[in-house]
Amino acid sequence: MELIIPNTTEMWINVASFTVLFFVLAKFAFPPITKMLDERANKIRESLERAEDTRVEAERLLEEYKVQMAEARAEATQVIEQGRKVAESMKVEILAKAREEAEAEKTKAIEAIKAEKSAAVGEIQKQVADLSVAVAGKIIGSSLSRTDHEALIDKYLTEVGSLHEN
Amino acid sequence: MSAPVVTAAGAAAEVSPMTEKIGHLLHELSVLPLSDGAFSLTNYTFWLLIGVAAILVYFIVASRKVSLVPSGIGNLTEALVEFVRNGIVVDVMGPEGKKYFPFIGTVFFFVLFNNLLGNIPPALPGTGTVGTTFTWAIIVFIVYNGIGIKKYGFFGYIKSLVPSGTPWWLSWLIFLIELISHLLRPFTLGIRLFANMYAGHIMLGVFTIFAALAIEHFTPMGAIVLPLSFFMQVLLRAFELAVAVLQAYIFTILTAVYINGALHAGEH
Repeated sequence: MELIIPNTTEMWINVASFTVLFFVLAKFAFPPITKMLDERANKIRESLERAEDTRVEAERLLEEYKVQMAEARAEATQVIEQGRKVAESMKVEILAKAREEAEAEKTKAIEAIKAEKSAAVGEIQKQVADLSVAVAGKIIGSSLSRTDHEALIDKYLTEVGSLHEN
Repeated sequence: MSAPVVTAAGAAAEVSPMTEKIGHLLHELSVLPLSDGAFSLTNYTFWLLIGVAAILVYFIVASRKVSLVPSGIGNLTEALVEFVRNGIVVDVMGPEGKKYFPFIGTVFFFVLFNNLLGNIPPALPGTGTVGTTFTWAIIVFIVYNGIGIKKYGFFGYIKSLVPSGTPWWLSWLIFLIELISHLLRPFTLGIRLFANMYAGHIMLGVFTIFAALAIEHFTPMGAIVLPLSFFMQVLLRAFELAVAVLQAYIFTILTAVYINGALHAGEH
């Protein structure tokens, strides 16, 4: 029975222990620990909130960059397309011009050749006439008057010329 | 082991070694003043003061070691404080209970450290005597009723013992039952902790006696008893560690429940 009857001295020692323990723990030991725990909880909460804000901001920026990127790409495509068109039209133009010039050169050359040819033909006609007169004169003497000769040569040359032209 | 020889007069002429040793164990575990003075330390309060000193030293060191990035002893302290503050106080009383943490924390660490200290031979648990457990239970009783009286006023608090809407002819009976249940709380709180710590040491002592007797009187039976006793010792030590923590938790959570009850006494 004496086992469950408290010893008075023990009780007073416990009252003193409680008083000292409560005073020291509540006043000096617990406050820095609980304050720090609360501080850390706040810090973690803040960090998480800040991280969330940063994430949202990053997502917004990424979206913005994506849009800008797409715009830039479209613009670049457009510029290239435009350049290609310009180059195409320039090519057509240059070719046409070159063709035109070549044609003109050719025409000019043909004309020059024609002129040369007719000059040469004229020259030959003249020489043939002179030669013919000389030859005819040798063959038939001078029976034919000069006027007759010339008429005869002309007739003949016209025939020869028309033959040649064909 | 020789059986006690009982004379015709009924007194044991020869005391068996078992009885003698158990008597010795019970004597060792009873409250023994260490000196003759009227105000002497007892075997339990001697260890209790060591336990209290250990708590003070531990917390004074640990409270300097806490930092935003915890390490070493700070981790353990934080875990313990967080366990009491969130696992007991906030769990039972909600966030507004946090202001009672210093008291509840003091109760928890006092009981925990003293329970655990009793597990280190040759120490006795400071909580293994009713002088300690009743005193702390009475402190809890005074504190929780004080909180209730402070909140509702003396008569308001007394009136709150009877739920509103009780018929008048029943209310005196309920009041009586409630009053007795409140008055019994320090006893149940004190006895539970004391009995657990005391019984644990009786059990450890009994198996030590078995082992000692098996060595002293070496018989074939003793060869079986000896290793079994050692095995039981080891098992009981582990069990006692669990009991030490569990009883500290129970004592503390009941303290929190009582304070919470007093705070919400007028709400039913």
